[in-house]
Amino acid sequence: MNGSLEKYTPKLMVLPTFLILLIISLVPLIYVLGISFTASTIAKPFNDFVWFENYKKAFTDEIFGHSLVNTLLFAFIVTTIQTFLGFVLAFTMQRERTLSGVLRTLALLPLFTPPVAIAMIWRLIYDPNQGLLNYYLLNWGLSSTPIAFLGERTLAFPAIMLADIWQWTPFCFLLCLAALQSLPRDPYEAAMVDGASAWYVFRRLTLPMVAPQIIVIFLFRFLIALKVFDLIYMLTFGGPGNATQVASFYIYRVSFKQFQTGYGGALSILVLILISILATLLTKGREFLLSKVER
Amino acid sequence: MKKLTLIISLLVIATMLLTACQPAAPATEQPQAPEQPTEQPKPEEPTPQQPAAEKPAEPMPAAGAAINKEACQGANLKFLTIQPHNVAAQNLQTWFQEASGAQVELIVVPYDNVIEKAVLDVTSGANEIDVVEYWYPGLGTLVENNVLENLDQWYADNASWIKADDFFPTYFDTFTKIGDSRYGIPYDGDMHLLWYYKPLFEKYSLQPPKTWDEYLNACKTITEGEKGNAYGCAIMGAKIPLILIGTYLNRLGSYGGSFFDAQGKPTINSPEAVAALEGLVEQSKYALPTASAVAFDEALGGWFTGKVGMVEFWTDLGSMTNDPASSKIGGQWGVVPLPKGPGDKGKVVASVNAGFAIGVSTGSKNKACAMEFVKFVADPETAKRYNTVVGGIDPARQSTLEDPKFIEFVGKEVADAIREAHKNAVVWPTSALWFKLQEPLNDNLSLALSGQKTPQQALDDTQKAWEDLLK
Repeated sequence: MNGSLEKYTPKLMVLPTFLILLIISLVPLIYVLGISFTASTIAKPFNDFVWFENYKKAFTDEIFGHSLVNTLLFAFIVTTIQTFLGFVLAFTMQRERTLSGVLRTLALLPLFTPPVAIAMIWRLIYDPNQGLLNYYLLNWGLSSTPIAFLGERTLAFPAIMLADIWQWTPFCFLLCLAALQSLPRDPYEAAMVDGASAWYVFRRLTLPMVAPQIIVIFLFRFLIALKVFDLIYMLTFGGPGNATQVASFYIYRVSFKQFQTGYGGALSILVLILISILATLLTKGREFLLSKVER
Repeated sequence: MKKLTLIISLLVIATMLLTACQPAAPATEQPQAPEQPTEQPKPEEPTPQQPAAEKPAEPMPAAGAAINKEACQGANLKFLTIQPHNVAAQNLQTWFQEASGAQVELIVVPYDNVIEKAVLDVTSGANEIDVVEYWYPGLGTLVENNVLENLDQWYADNASWIKADDFFPTYFDTFTKIGDSRYGIPYDGDMHLLWYYKPLFEKYSLQPPKTWDEYLNACKTITEGEKGNAYGCAIMGAKIPLILIGTYLNRLGSYGGSFFDAQGKPTINSPEAVAALEGLVEQSKYALPTASAVAFDEALGGWFTGKVGMVEFWTDLGSMTNDPASSKIGGQWGVVPLPKGPGDKGKVVASVNAGFAIGVSTGSKNKACAMEFVKFVADPETAKRYNTVVGGIDPARQSTLEDPKFIEFVGKEVADAIREAHKNAVVWPTSALWFKLQEPLNDNLSLALSGQKTPQQALDDTQKAWEDLLK
């Protein structure tokens, strides 16, 4: 009796957490999966079973395809730049003791600011007529006419990326700083005794030791970036044309502007599958890189 | 891996079974072809559900005098309104609280979110909202999703004072009626006029344009002459249906085009429609940069600082411009009807872009008091009050437009322009399908405006998308 109690106690203790996770993640997922096989509208869930029609439609939906490409492009570019900048900032500031508190607080500001406020700030900065950026571009003679950063199809996406980089680089900075400060001191002391150069120490010690954490930071940030919505909604609404259309915003439009929740559900499932594949690939990539580093 | 595949397969099968076992949904109504933009609907014949226009009206109750306070005792009314009408809503909140004793709470959302917010409130079962201020092209969607209470009985009960024939015919049916039933009362009668900044016109010896060719010429002349200090026109072309389709409709109607023909068949790639979009694309080259990123805020920013020669905007712009707190160009503007389109089919129109009405949510927990609120807003005397403060509301009643206090408030020039505009009004479709149809149009207009598609290609693609949706 005691033996079986001992055997089941850990499982029973985990049960509440398991149930909560089940309710908040699996139930909505099953619901979305369910409606994705129907011609549901917002007021008529589970309306008309259509099997895979929504999925077929998604594969021929040019805007959805375009929005997926944009999403991947966006996530890859901003994550790469943010991780790089975050690491550089963390590396240069890791030894700073006197100003470290102030710097960390400053770094946290963009993270604490509501995304809508951030979008408004950047909208004002980019404004062609009264914006800060155009003011300097015109006054310094860098441009003869105001530039509508959010209205030009070639500039709108980079402009949104810049706002995202400003918002999320501190996140990478803080995680990189924590990773760097957690490294053991012994190898550095040994390298100093051996007279190793700074570049050699960085290349042979710091980088290999911190690489696993950097890859995890990249992975986290990449997965978050795939869900970008707020900046698109506030700055361009997916325009001009479909230049800044991303998957989450398109799904929102289909589900809550056209009220086609069945089709929106199918698109969501497809995006989920894509993200799962990417996450698996990145995890495998991380393991591969780690094995290289360890060698 | 095999286990995982098995689990996923079981999950999919379970979901399919779950879906298949759902109770059958009510039969969907056959989609009807959306109504085409119509020119100034004629006042309809009175019906039993509708107050008789020729009946002598009973003495008009003073604002709030007819409110049944008992219906509102202890009620906490939630009023869904849009951000640009926040000031007007705050006024209504104060006045109705005084008149009824109820508490009124405002739920303020961006203007392009109001329909989805109202639909989600009811369909999710949250039922937080009592009174809905809705954008009229969403009326069909709201009714299809059972969001609005049928007000036929309410109209019959209040026939003695409501003066239905006092509502502008342009707005009354369009804003409130689906099939034979009414679901709201007209609140904000929004149509576009052409506003111009006199100092820039005088500087270049220009006259207010009467045709779109003259408009293009004036815009080009000012923009080229000012070399970046000011622009001849501001064109609202941001990729938001209310904004972009509104701007396009200003041209579509005046070029003699329409969204649909009399049979409800899409005609969005007709020669007139294509010419209208070509005109818009050409004009946008000289507009405040860049048309595809200009919405309310950007257009108003340029206008209030005297950087814009012309802007197509709603009829309340005059009072906003004369407010020194927000504008530098008070008293230096003029207003005329929108320009006429070219050719035999060309005409002067006034597009009813962004009109709003008020209805009662089916999920309301305070329906009796919500009906009193609707009564309060519909009261002609209350209408005069909220139309004579800066709050973004334009007259929906003829008595408001003719009220000396209103004429003094907006200026005779604006009142005359509004009166004139009602003769040529074009309205948006209000069918339940419109919210699906407007998305491809919005996408393609934006693609044309940003040069990613030619106007012909953009409208051909829209036509095809509409035909597919209407199948």
